[in-house]
Amino acid sequence: MFSYHLRLALKSLRRNPVIAALMISAIALGVGMCITTLTVFRLMSGNPIEHRNDVLYAVTLDSWDPAEPKDDDHPELPPPELTWRDAMAMLESDIPSRQVVMHKTGFVVEPKDREDAKPFLVEARVTTSDFFPMFDVPFLYGGAWGDSADENPQFAVVLSKETNEKAFGGEDSVGRTIELDGREFKVVGVLDDWLPTPKFYDVNNGAFDKPEELFVPLSLTAELELPSHGNTNCWKDEPLDSFKEFLNSECVWVQSWVELPTPEKVEAFRAFIDNYVREQKKLGRFQRPLNNHLRQPDEWLSVNEVVRDDNRVLVGLAFMFLAVCLLNTIGLLLAKFLGAAPLVGLRRALGASRKAIFHQHLVEVGVIGLIGGLLGIVIAALGLLGVRQLYDNYDALTRMDLTMGLIAIGIAVLSGVLAGLYPTWRVCAISPAAHLKTQ
Amino acid sequence: MAIRPILSAMLRNKTGAILVGLQIAITLAVVANAVFIIMQRVDKINRPSGIDSENLFFVQSYGYGPNYNHRDTVRHDLDLIRALPGVVAASVTNQIPLSGGGQATGYRTSAGSDTDVTGNVYNVDEHGVAAYGITLSAGRPFTEQEIQYDENVGSKFVPSIIITEALARDLFGESSPLGKNVYDNLGQSAVVVGVIGHMLGAWVDWDELDHVTLHPRIPDGPAVRYVVRAEPGRRDALMLEVEKRLSAADFSRAISWVRSHEYYTERSYRNDSRMVALLSVMIVLMVAVTALGIVGLASFHVNQRRKQIGTRRAVGARRVDIIRYFMLENWLLTTAGVLIGTILAFAFGQWLSSAYALPRLEPIYVVSGIILLWILGQLAVFVPARRAAAIPPAIATRTV
Repeated sequence: MFSYHLRLALKSLRRNPVIAALMISAIALGVGMCITTLTVFRLMSGNPIEHRNDVLYAVTLDSWDPAEPKDDDHPELPPPELTWRDAMAMLESDIPSRQVVMHKTGFVVEPKDREDAKPFLVEARVTTSDFFPMFDVPFLYGGAWGDSADENPQFAVVLSKETNEKAFGGEDSVGRTIELDGREFKVVGVLDDWLPTPKFYDVNNGAFDKPEELFVPLSLTAELELPSHGNTNCWKDEPLDSFKEFLNSECVWVQSWVELPTPEKVEAFRAFIDNYVREQKKLGRFQRPLNNHLRQPDEWLSVNEVVRDDNRVLVGLAFMFLAVCLLNTIGLLLAKFLGAAPLVGLRRALGASRKAIFHQHLVEVGVIGLIGGLLGIVIAALGLLGVRQLYDNYDALTRMDLTMGLIAIGIAVLSGVLAGLYPTWRVCAISPAAHLKTQ
Repeated sequence: MAIRPILSAMLRNKTGAILVGLQIAITLAVVANAVFIIMQRVDKINRPSGIDSENLFFVQSYGYGPNYNHRDTVRHDLDLIRALPGVVAASVTNQIPLSGGGQATGYRTSAGSDTDVTGNVYNVDEHGVAAYGITLSAGRPFTEQEIQYDENVGSKFVPSIIITEALARDLFGESSPLGKNVYDNLGQSAVVVGVIGHMLGAWVDWDELDHVTLHPRIPDGPAVRYVVRAEPGRRDALMLEVEKRLSAADFSRAISWVRSHEYYTERSYRNDSRMVALLSVMIVLMVAVTALGIVGLASFHVNQRRKQIGTRRAVGARRVDIIRYFMLENWLLTTAGVLIGTILAFAFGQWLSSAYALPRLEPIYVVSGIILLWILGQLAVFVPARRAAAIPPAIATRTV
């Protein structure tokens, strides 16, 4: 029976090839547009560290200007980063099972083996060693530097896979040295491919930038006077003539994360930071109301508004576009089905049950929905290719994964059913007698 | 022509009419709002920057190691660049306008004042005004004697300063700022020697983007940036030349990059140009789908009513009457659609402006959308209407 209905459906579609093409392409365009915008939106609003969401917390303290909030649009938020001295104070606590304090800087790398290679500048992250296990960073060779490097300055470095390729041709470079800003650093580890999207651990310095090209121990910041290459915001009227003054200033430029595996630890650490700020208040700092936060990655990403409003607007518009496409298809299907009403009347009079008629039209609608939906996924793939041209450094935002593929098929099927249901129902409601009379 | 028979024909096929009407309504709501957003973005991208953007390029040199001498390197580099044929002017600069990265600081009209006005700071030398291609509306550029170079004394202010008119207005009102003092956060003063008519700062989404100041200062090392202004048409060749020459010079430094200003504006406005591109594609497809839908439906109706059309022709209707019937039918449908669409468009616009802090939809976009849809509908229905008019009257005499 199904193959018979399928044959009928194809015959019917071939009878009006232009209309059939119109209906299929309307569904395809609508579905394609929705999936394209939705893919970008979903990846932007994704949380690459979801599996550790319940134990990781970003630390923020409100050390800002008593006269005005950091962000006029969000007066309730403390600055997203800490001062150096406050970040150092956080490290004093042994409540967190792991703790990251970090900032951005830059180095000039001098490739040694090759004479012709020119020195190049790299973006670097200065961090405590917990960065790697805490954020689940994959290693290709070696591993993080030891805890001792966090306390005593050591010239150790972890390279990204890309930097290792540039400097050592991709070989296992653990144990070799690399010259950074004229100093020899020992390579202790090389990362594997790692592209967290968005870059959750530092969303205020380009939420969709790539991770840094190399990583060095935080103990080097004061030792080598490593400058901040990230957002650095200062509010206080104070001289900043030396690096020491900068480290002791009220400027915020350091990121802090903690790992707190149990609710008790969360409460304990919350008490620790509140106490710390109360102590500081006595010293004349932290003149704003107590406003400290521990935020899990999910909340951290949403508070920092990582997803641009533009993307929400685009998704909304895309679904309105899909609505127009579906209305269009419904109209055409209805006209087509009702145009063939005398035929249906005839079939009904000859003994076809209402169920058979329903089945037959459903198959026809299904064919349209299926072809349209599949074509929509193709269009979405092309659309994403186009979006990639527009986004350039946003490669990771335009990949369609399995989940997105399933969502795509879901949207396509649902669209087909939605478009086909009403016309099918209408054609089944035809009373055979009315159409058997001559007009 | 009488509207009543058309209306009663439409009432016989209510669903079809409602579907087309809704389609037109949503199309109007989306197109009006999308075009409105596009126009805002285009205006933003095209606003004048106040600098000679298309002929500018930037160089960053990054010194390292114990042998690096910042002052000598800067002097050598600028001498070399300025001597190249095709270079109009060159200066040091700390940051790059419209690049998304920059420094800002507060300025006051008296020492220790509580209120300050934020300005985006550009450290330049005596060639800075010429190198950026800035037009001064009053005063003068910096002189060589004014240029500060103090290693590691970042918080020392400058003796003189050049500010934009927009910043001057917020500081001093309508009176001329020339010769007046501005104060930094530590109460140090600088005298205003020049006023820039218009110039944009670093962050394209900042609402005080035209608050810009120039400080006469060579920034501390180890990184230094140069702004180079080329004669029209010579920028790209000069970029290669400068990179080659500077890399060849034997200093302990890396030339991090040589980039045109266009590189930065394109990146900074990328979010906006992307929105323009995606919305444009959406609008074109949406209008096309709606138009084709009208063609398709009208074709069906023509086929369905062949007999009636033939009968009308047989009893004396001219071809033009048939065409007019379908055109009028479409016009009625479109009008009903755009009436609902107008409400939808403003409701949608209201939601956008409240949820995403966008400006309120201007009525002109809805009006233009209505006219567009009227014309589009008439054009779309014309093809099937002409086919309807071609139905011979003889068809009336045949049975089905």
